[in-house]
Amino acid sequence: MIARLDRISLLAVPALVFLAAIYALPLMMLLAKSFQGPEGTGISAYIEFFSDPYNLNVLWRTIRVALLTTLLALLIAYPTAFAMARANGIWLTVFLVALVLPMSLGVVVKAFAWSILFRANGALNEFMQWIGLTSGPIRMMFTETALVVGAANVFLPFMVLPIYAVVRQLNASLPDAAASLGATPLFRFTHVTLPLTLPGVVAGAAFVFSLSISMYVIPSLIVGERQQTMSMLIARSFLYLRDETLGSTISAILLAIAVAVVLFSSWLAGRLGARQ
Amino acid sequence: MTVFSRHGVTRRTLLKSSAAAALGTLAAPSLLRAANAEIVIGCAGSHTAWMEQIVAPHMKSAIGADILFEGTKSSVNLEKMSSNKDRPYLSVVQMDDPVMIQAVEAGLLTPITPDAVPNMTELRPDAVHLDGMWCNYVQPWAGIAYNTDMKSGVASWGELWEPANKGQVIIPSLQNTEGVWTLFAAAMLATGKPFSEAQYEVDAAFAKLEELNPNLLTVYSTMSQAFNLMEQGEVSMLAGNFSSYTLPRKAEGVPVDLAAPKEGIFAMPSGICLVKDGPNPELAQAYVNEMLGAEMQTQIADFATSVPANTTVKAGAIVPDGVQIHAPDWAFVAENRAAWIDRFDKLMAV
Repeated sequence: MIARLDRISLLAVPALVFLAAIYALPLMMLLAKSFQGPEGTGISAYIEFFSDPYNLNVLWRTIRVALLTTLLALLIAYPTAFAMARANGIWLTVFLVALVLPMSLGVVVKAFAWSILFRANGALNEFMQWIGLTSGPIRMMFTETALVVGAANVFLPFMVLPIYAVVRQLNASLPDAAASLGATPLFRFTHVTLPLTLPGVVAGAAFVFSLSISMYVIPSLIVGERQQTMSMLIARSFLYLRDETLGSTISAILLAIAVAVVLFSSWLAGRLGARQ
Repeated sequence: MTVFSRHGVTRRTLLKSSAAAALGTLAAPSLLRAANAEIVIGCAGSHTAWMEQIVAPHMKSAIGADILFEGTKSSVNLEKMSSNKDRPYLSVVQMDDPVMIQAVEAGLLTPITPDAVPNMTELRPDAVHLDGMWCNYVQPWAGIAYNTDMKSGVASWGELWEPANKGQVIIPSLQNTEGVWTLFAAAMLATGKPFSEAQYEVDAAFAKLEELNPNLLTVYSTMSQAFNLMEQGEVSMLAGNFSSYTLPRKAEGVPVDLAAPKEGIFAMPSGICLVKDGPNPELAQAYVNEMLGAEMQTQIADFATSVPANTTVKAGAIVPDGVQIHAPDWAFVAENRAAWIDRFDKLMAV
């Protein structure tokens, strides 16, 4: 049995070799580079990065945008996943196509489309004036709100699909059982439905947060150079400042945040699963 | 004995065949590349139209080369050359002068010589740099692009700073070569000195640039998006834009024009160079020779509304009368650019 398992596990070798060569090795090199300063090996690049208020501002903006994007995507995705789980036949197909088809569009196209919608004479401004919400055009382009909305749109499928997968497996009789015991709709949601769907929420949030924190094209097109994010700082360090140590340091910090989020979400998903 | 062997195919034979097929597939692109005499050219994203329509067909018929080109920023081209220094894949690069200086310092270029590229003898003397390390081929002129539905013209660089233009201006990042024009204009306005002297007054330039913040909608690093915003009337002015981009759009009927402010305009530093130890060196030299020759110069200068560097060519951009054209000290720019980018980004951040 053990020998058979070992032979089967060999099937993972090509993937592991590929990941080691294409992903792990360059990451190790990147990490090593971040500890090589002009005065030798050390953490001087990290000290320099964290002692610059501009960098701290960019770091906080990156985390804030990723958190808000995740939150907005969750608010849209959670009810959508329930609607999809209830849908059958053609409606389910419509939902899935509407969700998956935009993923085939390049992120540049989607970001550019949002930049058109957000203009002073764009559709959103004209609609708000038409319904009387605003008396004149308001500035939406090159704002953090626009970035969060655009990013949430692009990453929405990564939130919807994990939640949908969990909701589909939900035993529909459990909320009914709670209702038969006198639980109110709010109590049923907070004590039955929500806890059971949390593993999907955690997985979706981890996906969207990781994607949002490392996005490059979307902020470049929607908010531009005056509101830089960590990814934009990385590109700037390598391409324009030609400072590989700084670029590697910022990359390592971004990677550490992403890894922390993935590990925390795995731990949280494990705990939530165990409680169920 | 496997199922395969019963049909005359052993497992070993199958593995060998698969390995051979895989190697053959992987090797195919380089074999095809060698057979087709293909060269890869690094150029600017804004070159795409004339590289596709003029250069590629001409090179196929004139020197028998298939041209693959990668359009991006000069700094990205420099990074590609630097990262692939031991095994270059680019043969020729077309990029801006300040980045050429960095490429020379990094030992990434090989000189262009009259023996291999005879057409370089027909260039203006100021178009050949550092004994042929690179040459300028065509030079667009740079001023302030504006939306003609919103403005009738831009008389002075100072209009960018006027309170009436709040939120109506986009400027390039210093990551883009054309970003330095706004910096030098700020220096000129702050000090009252001519461009030739003001370009060294960096502190005064940055102080003046900070005053531009209320008028800025954004700072761009992707020019096409910024230009589109101006075309659509989101802003009225785009500082530092150049004739090879604005004037063809104007000719297509788009409501834009390029202003030549009274204080002066700038010559965009479009250079061409040979990559050191780049593939297919003879073909690369032939490519550069064609690019500097009268036929290509005429076509590109006309198409991109630029000033040709070949003295035998009478075509291309008409430089506005009575306005001085400035060529900055690119060595000074190259030496300080990284520090300027860092300072600029922090100063203009919101």
